[in-house]
Amino acid sequence: MSITSYNGSALVAMIGKNCFAIASDRRLGVNFQTIATDYQRIFQIHDRLYIGLSGLGTDVQTLYQRLKFRHKLYQLREERNMRPETFASLVSAMLYEKRFGPYFCEPIIAGLSEENVPFICTTDLIGAKQFSSDFVVSGTASESLYGACESMYKPDLEPEDLFEVISQALLSSVDRDCISGWGGIVYIVTPEQVITKTLKGRTD
Amino acid sequence: MEEFGCEWNDAPHSMGTTIMAVQYEGGVILGADSRTTTGAYVANRASDKITELTDNVYICRSGSAADSQIVSDYSRYFLNQHTIQLGRDATVKTAANIVRELSYGNKSFLECGLIVAGWDKYENGSVYSIPLGGTILRLPFSTGGSGSSYLYGFLDQAWKDGMNKEEAEALVVKAVSLAMARDGSSGGVVRTVIIDSSGVTRNFYPGDKLPLYYEEIPYRPTVEPMSA
Amino acid sequence: MAEAAIALPPKGGFNFDLCKRNAMLEKNGIALPRFRKTGTTIVGLVFKDGVILGADTRATEGEIVCDKNCEKIHYMAPNIYCCGAGTAADTENVTDMVRSQLELHRYATNRESRVVTALTMLKTHLFGYRGQVSAALVLGGVDVTGPHLHTVYPHGSTDTLPFATMGSGSLAAMSVFESRYKEDMDKEEGMEIVSAAICAGIFNDLGSGSNVDLCILTKGKTEYLRNYQKPNPRSYIRSKGYDFARGHTAILSTRITPLKDQVTIIEGDAMEE
Repeated sequence: MSITSYNGSALVAMIGKNCFAIASDRRLGVNFQTIATDYQRIFQIHDRLYIGLSGLGTDVQTLYQRLKFRHKLYQLREERNMRPETFASLVSAMLYEKRFGPYFCEPIIAGLSEENVPFICTTDLIGAKQFSSDFVVSGTASESLYGACESMYKPDLEPEDLFEVISQALLSSVDRDCISGWGGIVYIVTPEQVITKTLKGRTD
Repeated sequence: MEEFGCEWNDAPHSMGTTIMAVQYEGGVILGADSRTTTGAYVANRASDKITELTDNVYICRSGSAADSQIVSDYSRYFLNQHTIQLGRDATVKTAANIVRELSYGNKSFLECGLIVAGWDKYENGSVYSIPLGGTILRLPFSTGGSGSSYLYGFLDQAWKDGMNKEEAEALVVKAVSLAMARDGSSGGVVRTVIIDSSGVTRNFYPGDKLPLYYEEIPYRPTVEPMSA
Repeated sequence: MAEAAIALPPKGGFNFDLCKRNAMLEKNGIALPRFRKTGTTIVGLVFKDGVILGADTRATEGEIVCDKNCEKIHYMAPNIYCCGAGTAADTENVTDMVRSQLELHRYATNRESRVVTALTMLKTHLFGYRGQVSAALVLGGVDVTGPHLHTVYPHGSTDTLPFATMGSGSLAAMSVFESRYKEDMDKEEGMEIVSAAICAGIFNDLGSGSNVDLCILTKGKTEYLRNYQKPNPRSYIRSKGYDFARGHTAILSTRITPLKDQVTIIEGDAMEE
């Protein structure tokens, strides 16, 4: 078994019309034993910037703390929030620094720019950035998420419709992955508000 | 890249080579084939393994391409500095000893065999061989690379003291051609560099113009591509 | 104090803190994951007036295609571009690093960057990591000394060639070059052969796929033709798409957080970013 599938995870982010959505499952397991069903993998960096971290639970938390710390330093120094592109570069640099002893984390970065342009991006565990104009996926359920998103995604969805698409893609994908699931959590970020919904999913 | 199994990418870039240098009456001739391989793939069929160190000293490289390039790059850098400080050309002996210094000092990290040859007013043409461990040997003629094993006996027999330039170059081209025919990791074209008191001459012998020996098949022009 | 040293921004270079832990995990029989690779076809060719670079656009992670349209031709300087194959993070970072060094060098010297400068910087870095930084590159550009095309191997060796291929599709692409390359071709002919070579990689190498990117560098002019050819359009679009009625998904809870209006400066000048 690979170390990235020790805890199990499913992460996805999608771009809608002037908005984005980022969603994850809520399970934390040790191999096949479920430990928690309210595990947080998506974190808020600032109002309009989120990061989802798939992979090894311990590295998820360490990496989040380091990123949050670096963002706070940036806020103090610059008196403004990071642009999503800048933050993606920070994540990538932080991961590539450990090129020969990596964190077992594949992050997804999703944010809304000052001009309300949505941005999503993912990197591999050593910080190879990949930008996307539709959706990005990560985690142990990524293979089934690719399939679900490829067929379900449509461009320029309104926030309400984007929520349905990302939720259905997530729920149908985690049903085909033993080590992720137990419901989900979805963040829809629009210029005006953030809608956080927890999803009801299978509990087996 | 293991998924797509490409040893032609992952294998270190190396020169299974035939290189040689010969001293003659008045100068030296360096010779080399032009094949560079990664694993079994010919990564470059027209490479130049005879590299300039100074105006009057050249080096033949064999072994790992990366290692031999870095050693010659550093040697060239040190020799340029030395030439400026001294105000006159470096001797072949100095050049060879700088190469030796780098080869010996880093021998546990390097995998390259080198032949330094050139002309200076003190010794005329001279050939220095610097094989794997960083030894230095002054020889009247020397070969290196995987193709060299086919050449020792031949050169012992064919090399004569006091050859003129034409005889010496013919010998070099003949020897490299022989090795290229027998050694799978040598091939392509033959390049020679002639250094004497008057300067440097570079010669190029394309693969289809090389002398043929026992059981070698003459070059047949390529059939025109299907489009024709 | 030790804590602060860990948390503070690093000065550069690699960090090996987690190596021991990861080695322990590996020793206990847990497989370490794979990196994103670009199982790639990248090529370059010298023609009458300059250099043409080409690349496919598939990025893979194991047997999964993780990006169907990635960019493998990296900007180095206005007159120099570089195609990358190997581990995606390595090609990205090594080209980025040299790009920034070249820019600073241009500011310091007030001269156009030279291709050999980029080449030397790349090979020095890669040689220092003895093949561990696995970036295989095709570097091309036109400078004051004319057009140049080089290949750089992960171990730090370099070649200078009139036509070059790299990556898992290099054999397929090389077969096209070997049969069709001529000296002093014009631009159109060059572009045709480069895209044919990339297509050979796309269709005959499993690690390469999707579209053809081209970059044409001539004296004083650079044309970057992103997705010059798209020989593999999507073939599985459901004409009606999937529609989900709003409120269809079962929800346990909803929380709505209004975002504060962004501060807009109405007086004075906004600070430049």
